[in-house]
Amino acid sequence: MNRNHYNFDLNGLLKKVFFVDLIQGLFITFHYTFSKTITMKYPDEETWIPYKRFRGLHTLNKNKEGKELCVGCELCQKSCPTQCITVVPMQDTTGKGIADRVAYRWEINLLRCMFCGLCEDACPTEALKLGREYELAGTSMQRHLLTKEELLAPQAVPAEFEGGVIVKARLGTDETGIKVVPDMSVQKRWW
Amino acid sequence: MATVKINGKEITVEDGTLILDAATSAGFEIPTMCFHARLSKLASCRVCLVEIVGQKKLQPSCVTPVMHGMEVLTESPVVKSARSAMIDLLLANHPLDCPVCDKGGECELQDITFKFGPRKSPFGEEKRRFHEEDYILSPVIIQNANRCIQCKRCVRICAETVGAEVLGSIDRGAGTGETSFVKEYLDCDHCGNCIEVCPVGSLMSRSFRYKSRPWDLKGVDTVCTYCGTGCQLTVQARNGEVLRVISKPDKGINHETLCARGRYGYSFINSHERLVTPMIRKGGTLEPATWDEALKAIKEGITGAIRNGGKIGGIASSRLSNEELYLFQRLMRVVLKTNHIDSGSRWNTGAVKTFTEVMELSRGGVSIYDALNTDTLLVIGSSISDENPVTDYMIRRLSQNKKMNIIIASPRGMKLDSSAALTLRHRPAAEGEIISGISRVLYDKNADKLNDLSGKEPLKSISKENISSLTGTDWGRIESAANFMSSSNSVTIAVGNDVLRGPSRLEFLNVLVGALRLLGKEVKLFPVFDRANQRGAWEMGVHPAMMPGYSATAGNGLGCEGILEASSRGEMDVLYVIGEDIVSDFPDGRFAEEALHRVKFLIVQDMFLTETAKMAGVVLPGASFVEKDGTFTNQEGRVQRLRRFLPPQGDAKADWEIIAAVGAAVDPSFNYGSAAGIFGEIKEAAPMYREIAFESLDGSGALIKETNRKGTDLKSVPSVASQMPAASPDPDYPFVLITGNHLYHSGRLSLRTDILRDILSEAIVEISEEDAKDLKVGKGDKVVVKGERYEATLTVHVNKRSAKGVVFIPENFTDVRVNMFFTKGEGLPRVRVLPLTGKSHGGGIK
Repeated sequence: MNRNHYNFDLNGLLKKVFFVDLIQGLFITFHYTFSKTITMKYPDEETWIPYKRFRGLHTLNKNKEGKELCVGCELCQKSCPTQCITVVPMQDTTGKGIADRVAYRWEINLLRCMFCGLCEDACPTEALKLGREYELAGTSMQRHLLTKEELLAPQAVPAEFEGGVIVKARLGTDETGIKVVPDMSVQKRWW
Repeated sequence: MATVKINGKEITVEDGTLILDAATSAGFEIPTMCFHARLSKLASCRVCLVEIVGQKKLQPSCVTPVMHGMEVLTESPVVKSARSAMIDLLLANHPLDCPVCDKGGECELQDITFKFGPRKSPFGEEKRRFHEEDYILSPVIIQNANRCIQCKRCVRICAETVGAEVLGSIDRGAGTGETSFVKEYLDCDHCGNCIEVCPVGSLMSRSFRYKSRPWDLKGVDTVCTYCGTGCQLTVQARNGEVLRVISKPDKGINHETLCARGRYGYSFINSHERLVTPMIRKGGTLEPATWDEALKAIKEGITGAIRNGGKIGGIASSRLSNEELYLFQRLMRVVLKTNHIDSGSRWNTGAVKTFTEVMELSRGGVSIYDALNTDTLLVIGSSISDENPVTDYMIRRLSQNKKMNIIIASPRGMKLDSSAALTLRHRPAAEGEIISGISRVLYDKNADKLNDLSGKEPLKSISKENISSLTGTDWGRIESAANFMSSSNSVTIAVGNDVLRGPSRLEFLNVLVGALRLLGKEVKLFPVFDRANQRGAWEMGVHPAMMPGYSATAGNGLGCEGILEASSRGEMDVLYVIGEDIVSDFPDGRFAEEALHRVKFLIVQDMFLTETAKMAGVVLPGASFVEKDGTFTNQEGRVQRLRRFLPPQGDAKADWEIIAAVGAAVDPSFNYGSAAGIFGEIKEAAPMYREIAFESLDGSGALIKETNRKGTDLKSVPSVASQMPAASPDPDYPFVLITGNHLYHSGRLSLRTDILRDILSEAIVEISEEDAKDLKVGKGDKVVVKGERYEATLTVHVNKRSAKGVVFIPENFTDVRVNMFFTKGEGLPRVRVLPLTGKSHGGGIK
């Protein structure tokens, strides 16, 4: 076999001459340039709201009358495999809870939490739910030790919100860390 | 013996054994709800049903005894379905508010439902509801009757064991509810035993309300330090804060019972008033210092006194552990070469010596259950229902199933009176005369058999009229007490520590015991103490005339009174006081205060800045009973373990560590490293402790054993010069004042616990019903009690059963210092009681 045999390829030559590959490639580029954008501008302009089933940061909830649902039964603490929850109950006569027993302390160490959701399953009053917040990075350890008051404060994403959408967001930065604030009014789905 | 087959397994048990017990011993579990081993049998819950082969109906195993040849099935399908149905019926009206209920996690109904119960219920009806909100029954009890399952354990324990009878049930059928009679504050012992036996969350502790789940608590089995009964209790804490005290049915002589002090007297442990650092007096005030500085100051003070040949004395509380008391006397006798030591400041040192001899304490321990296994029980010298509540519960419990004549001799009425066959109300401090009266009757009836005793006091000199007028007791009653004894085969004499308060004629007890023994009776002597380690203190040799193990000392030392007298003359160079508030306890407060002011160097070691500590040159912070290791010897002679469970507060140290450090500061060879090590030395010094193993002391402890010492000889007891109680009352001061512990308080420590203070915080005066009528005062009214040297305004409590002319003021309160009424060497003070009327006194009148 002749090693220096030159196999003439007209098609290849034409492709090269007319930049076919380049055009094909650029066609894909141009296709995406002019099609609907799927890139999420996270965290500067947009953020992803997970589905309801998502297990994010814990929330402590109130009932319709605004009474704390948590009765401080400590079952979440008992069920926690990483022992990151501390509950201390107390007697309450002001009527802020659904019973005269309320949580005096309800604390979670998020550094230990593995978001398994067993605490939510154990809760007999549906006071404890894992919410949709997942931006839990911070600059201090203290930021990861959350108390009852912080967990009782409503989360940005309401519990009844279905989720699974991208919403408009604003990147907020303060000394505790970075926080993406979603604006639920502007939603989009790209698919 | 009966042989029965349980689930095919054959076992042989005693006749009359309950099927429940037989099945348990065969290794089968039968669930129970209303059953309680030490209460009467009710068989109302029907959870323990079993099938007896050949009988159509299922039988409750908690009341059915076995019969020979019986075949019992505890796990047959019929039993299982019936059991599940019974639990379903209990749950039909039980509110399923377990997340809120404080019992959740240790609820018997939860447990048996989980194990044996149905998995679903057909009952969909509205549940029975008595009330919406839990209501408060007493300062310590809160009730939710909706959760009640009508097992009536609370009603039974209250009536049968505590004797308070304040709980009952109203209505019937499914509507039955446990309650107090008028849903008001209970007038009871506030002992919380009803809470302890409640299987569900119907009766709950107020102090533990919504504090924690049981699984969060870490606990330790230790011994109560409030009286000589020596109850086992479990202290439970969460994150280092003691949250509650419970009693366990299988632990200790007290089983599930405790009194208010034991159950609620724990919060002093976490008190903010605790001493957390040593203090040294600098320029008139006590200022915090380091241990090194304090020990240096002590070393200087003590070595200076030794160099100058000065007097050194020591007084240690009988609430310290055996190890601490032993180390204390060793420090005093060996390092500081002094015999001037005493335990407590309330007792007459001579009376203590007589007491240990006539009560035969050196002959080893007598179990309370042996002591109460008797035909006749004489209780004298103790308001046992108030001073030793759990001993009172045990007596009441045991006397119910057994024919036992209880004779109570006391100036004050008490709850146990209702169980007594005979009560002798006598004048205060006339215990010796009561005993001599009984001996007299026995002698008169059996003079032929008791010839040996004829020459002895009191038989020789005391006549029947004499005794009657000295004791203020009807002769007929003394006679019937003697008759009870002579018709019994065994007699137990329980003598309380009230006889130690003055020079009483306790040696007469020797004659009574001798007479009973000559008459062929089995006599057991049972001491009753109000301090947890009173017996241990004497056995460790913290007494001027007794070495460890009751052997005699070489030289003669001074007791507390002698030490104070020497102090008042300015002869005391160093006085080391541990855990004792002499200023508040010594029966002449003014004298004690003046005497202590003249002590050149006063070292006080305590948990709190007591009145005595305020006068000290150096104050050392001691530890509470859960912060140190050691042993206690209770009144029976039972050695029980104290277990360290929490670190001492602040810079405080276990008392034995401090004593060892003080000793080492003076003499470096005084070196002790552990409580167990000290106990090893105790075994050498006090042979009665030889067989006790420190490490393996379990729940019920171990009794000390008699050594090869001979029994007390009748003649060997020295006659103590005695003062007869004054026979003719002084018209100006018609009442005799006595003191002791209140039911809710013991010593001064209990007043530092907020729960007990909630029950009773202000000083009371107890007078008899007759006197109350004469004075026209009732419960809650204020009166002025006036002595020759002191007067105080107090709230009246009326005791229906007390003797006329007797006024009782507890020694526990700080606002009224009862010891100020006393004058050293003059016996019991006489007082006047004046009703406080009009609004000029601040309107404290109800």
